[in-house]
Amino acid sequence: MAIAHEFEYFKPESLKEAINLAAKFGEKGRPLAGGTDLVVKINDEIEFPDAVIDLKGIDELKKLELKDGKLFIGPLVTFTELINSPVVRDKFPLLREASGTVASSGVRNRATLVGNICSAVPSLDSGTPLLVYQAEVLVKSKDGERTIPIGEWFTGPKKNALKPGEIVVGVTIDEITGKQGGCYVKLGRYRGEDLAQVGIGILSLENNEYRIAFCAVGPVAARAEKIENLLNGKELTDEIIGEAKKLVPEEISPIDDIRATGEYRMHMAEVMLVRGLKEATARLNGEGTEYGTSVI
Amino acid sequence: MEELKFVGKSLPRIDSKEKLTGAAQYVDDLEFGPNLLYAEIVESTEAFARVTKVDTSEAEKITGVVKVITGKDFPYKFGLYMKDRFILAQDVVRFVGEQVAAVIARDPKIARRAAKLVKVEYEPFTPVFDQMEAIKKDPILIHPDLGEYPHVPWFYPKAGTNIAHWKKVRVGDMEKGFEEADVIVEDTYFVPRYAHCCMETHNAVGLLDYSGRLTVWSSSQSPHTQRNLFAEALSPLGFTHKDVRVITPYIGGGFGGKAGVTMEILAAAFATKVKGNPVKVRWTRAQEFYNTYMRQAVVSKLKLGAKKDGTIVAFEGTNYWDAGPYVEYGANVVNASGISAAGPYRIPNVKIDSLCIYTNLPAAGPYRGFGYSEMMFGVESQMERMAKKLGMNSVEFRKKNAFKGGDILVYGAPINDNGYNECIDKVAQAIDFGKKEVSDDPNKVIGKGIAAAWKGPAMPPNASSAAFIKFSEDGSINILVSGIDMGQGYLTVMAQIAAEILTVPLDKIRTENPDTDRNPYEWQTVASHVTWSCGNAVKRAAMNAREQIFDTVHAAYLFDKSTLYLEDECVKCTLKPDFALPLKDFVIDGIMVKDGTFRGGPIMGKGMFMPEFSSTKGDPETGIGGKPNVHYTVGAGGVVIEIDKETGKVKVLKTAQAYDIGKAINPSLVEGQVYGGFMQGLATALFEDMRFGEDGSILNPNFTDYKIPTALDIPDEMIPIIVEVPQNDGPYGARGVGEHVMIPVMPSIANAVEDALGIRIKSMPITAEKIALAIKAGLKEVD
Repeated sequence: MAIAHEFEYFKPESLKEAINLAAKFGEKGRPLAGGTDLVVKINDEIEFPDAVIDLKGIDELKKLELKDGKLFIGPLVTFTELINSPVVRDKFPLLREASGTVASSGVRNRATLVGNICSAVPSLDSGTPLLVYQAEVLVKSKDGERTIPIGEWFTGPKKNALKPGEIVVGVTIDEITGKQGGCYVKLGRYRGEDLAQVGIGILSLENNEYRIAFCAVGPVAARAEKIENLLNGKELTDEIIGEAKKLVPEEISPIDDIRATGEYRMHMAEVMLVRGLKEATARLNGEGTEYGTSVI
Repeated sequence: MEELKFVGKSLPRIDSKEKLTGAAQYVDDLEFGPNLLYAEIVESTEAFARVTKVDTSEAEKITGVVKVITGKDFPYKFGLYMKDRFILAQDVVRFVGEQVAAVIARDPKIARRAAKLVKVEYEPFTPVFDQMEAIKKDPILIHPDLGEYPHVPWFYPKAGTNIAHWKKVRVGDMEKGFEEADVIVEDTYFVPRYAHCCMETHNAVGLLDYSGRLTVWSSSQSPHTQRNLFAEALSPLGFTHKDVRVITPYIGGGFGGKAGVTMEILAAAFATKVKGNPVKVRWTRAQEFYNTYMRQAVVSKLKLGAKKDGTIVAFEGTNYWDAGPYVEYGANVVNASGISAAGPYRIPNVKIDSLCIYTNLPAAGPYRGFGYSEMMFGVESQMERMAKKLGMNSVEFRKKNAFKGGDILVYGAPINDNGYNECIDKVAQAIDFGKKEVSDDPNKVIGKGIAAAWKGPAMPPNASSAAFIKFSEDGSINILVSGIDMGQGYLTVMAQIAAEILTVPLDKIRTENPDTDRNPYEWQTVASHVTWSCGNAVKRAAMNAREQIFDTVHAAYLFDKSTLYLEDECVKCTLKPDFALPLKDFVIDGIMVKDGTFRGGPIMGKGMFMPEFSSTKGDPETGIGGKPNVHYTVGAGGVVIEIDKETGKVKVLKTAQAYDIGKAINPSLVEGQVYGGFMQGLATALFEDMRFGEDGSILNPNFTDYKIPTALDIPDEMIPIIVEVPQNDGPYGARGVGEHVMIPVMPSIANAVEDALGIRIKSMPITAEKIALAIKAGLKEVD
């Protein structure tokens, strides 16, 4: 691959150095983690950065740990590392399930979760688990630190709340107290790797609490609050699921594109909500399939 | 029959270790030293336009740029069957992505940067992307000079139209035929364009050395044909065939996409402008989609008539092929499939029109199956519909009408003996066809579908193969041939054939990749013909070597030649049980006789094969006459699928595929073809689909949105079945199978979908979306 675009390449050894570079180049500087999006975009001449700031030399950004009830995911943590982490497996099974559907194993070995939310495509697989686990994004710049709730992170298709000069230094998720059952349902065109045409992440918690988020069926991945409000506090019955299904058109705005029509996306969002809700709740009760088993 | 020791055995591939360890070299692995230059192509942004200006001045200023080339540098046409394209666009571009100019630089990055600085101005015409539009009255002509293009005698271009070739078949009396029919089924089917998606993209390196020798290293299925076309196209520069050499190392997939000549001509031509420096042209994945060949799209309008007892009496069909703007190869796809477009059935009244239509989408051409997969989707869907209407089991219906050996084909010659009925019976049995199965999951339904396959090699009547077999001092062998192993196991199969005659085990045989200077002629590795054709050549070369061996022994020992035979790498004599002369003792040095002189010398067998019974001399108005197809390989495929009624997703639970290949030289390699071909066909049936924008650009020139199957898409159970009714002129009775394995897949899936849901889908691919929305809308037929 011959990349025609010319840019400066930096590989800082400290976060401070990286932040200085981010400040210096602003919008024209792009941090590099896994590179599975950025390098492709530069090669395809979609992005033309003046500077690429490679974060891979900064050890503190590789951290993945559960501490004081909070999971910390550094920007260099790959999807494969998430999938292989016993902590993620035991405490955040929905995040693990969704991570397993990202691209192919080769890409997952390099691609990072933080890179995924920075690219912020509407179909991102990490979006719905982070939304239902109510994650927060930690960002740093020369001016200081901010914490952005994931619900405010996605600001539009391929857009996020990061300001020029800021670098994401981690994502945190509070541990769920009590039991949980999760289900990530992803619609692809075949069984191999694909971008979600519809994605739905569902967390079924004790006391009939349900958290639901969609991706790929609107400009950003987002929680389905009307459906959640309808369901919360109620036992799942066929009747209530039927009512929830009727609310789907109010929650999402799928479009026609090369991957699917809006009509099929809408139809599948309904099917996937019904199956996902049942499966997440079955898993909550220890009766569901193993995580990673697709319900569609 | 004598027991075979090498042929018919599932021996390991002779190239497997090289490929598994990474030792195998492909064009892009070859080292060309520090003088290697890189070419970047300037591509047309218009689908159909006059090129009014090409300004290269800015690009030429870039340091590192060696040469900027435009169409004016090479005003030469080329093409395999019809000369309708130029090395680089001249005054007109005819598809988005067409090569207009090129930058040659010392570094690929520099070449890419400079290529952006070449300014091309266009005066756009109104493009035509739909073949049905292109044949309407008073169309815009994509090739106004069509009438002047040189072409093979069996093409019938219609000057003043966009029809590059019109193949006609006329047998019997259609009116009478349909009058006799009790039931008539009439439908229109659509198959879109597909791409080959070889793992290795096209790439080639050209070098004109100071001696005037032009060498091209290319990833190709057709080194000798490339040499021929390069020499022809560049003859104005003074090249003759002896000056042109093509070397093809291992290739990473072909599927027809690397047949003939496409981008390789750029490497050959560019090399002439930078004498002494090798120049590399290497396609990106996107270029691979845009500017090699694609599979043609087709609209099939079919009408089938049968009597109540299941006898087919009439078949009428028109296939409208979208062939793109250059059909130098693609027109033969239309021709070849047109000959066979009524399927493997004995039908007294047949009328087929196959139209090869120019459009402004990228050039289309050969793709595994050579038109048969496309046209058989319609044919085998029709057979199923007809059987249903007649209330017959569709297997019995097919068998009742199937060609048997000796039956007369539409062109008037008999078909070879074949095991079609055995194939379809075995498939039906393997999938328990006709027995309804019910899923445990209430959301899911199970359906079964079956379809026939047939195909003859599509090749000129005199397409030939040749082979040399060289012995070395230790009795080991190098087989020199010019066919290509693109995964099918050709090198191994040739070695097995030689081993059988010469009794030399496979670990002492190398089959060499082609170098047109050293290896003898092979037309191309296409048409599923090399096992048959080159296999015959290798067998003859081995027999020729054996003859030389016996001559040597006879000369030295005076044994009667008729008493000599080979066994375990030794010459033995039926009259002298103790005599066993190892080959290694004399195959180079000869045999010393009493007076100290020697008899014999280096053993070097040669063999060639050209069919001497094939002819394309048919009547253009009826297609009757000649013998365009040397033989047909027939078979059948069946599937058991499970469909989720809510999502529309199809899962193949089981497939059985049976082919009569005459003789499986290596059964496990045949099974490999069946597995691979089924998967390739399955993807075209379920999710592959080339999509185009309104400007003629490709919307999915990448694997993000052009989906090819993965390991996860493989069915739970695949049953390959080998049927062996020998081909009397094939090596050990063998016929080809490489392409046939794709042919029944699309219709068998469509037939299974109808069996499961009662919905007849007449367009490919049958996506989950198409099924789910049809169920939701309560449709019984989907166009």
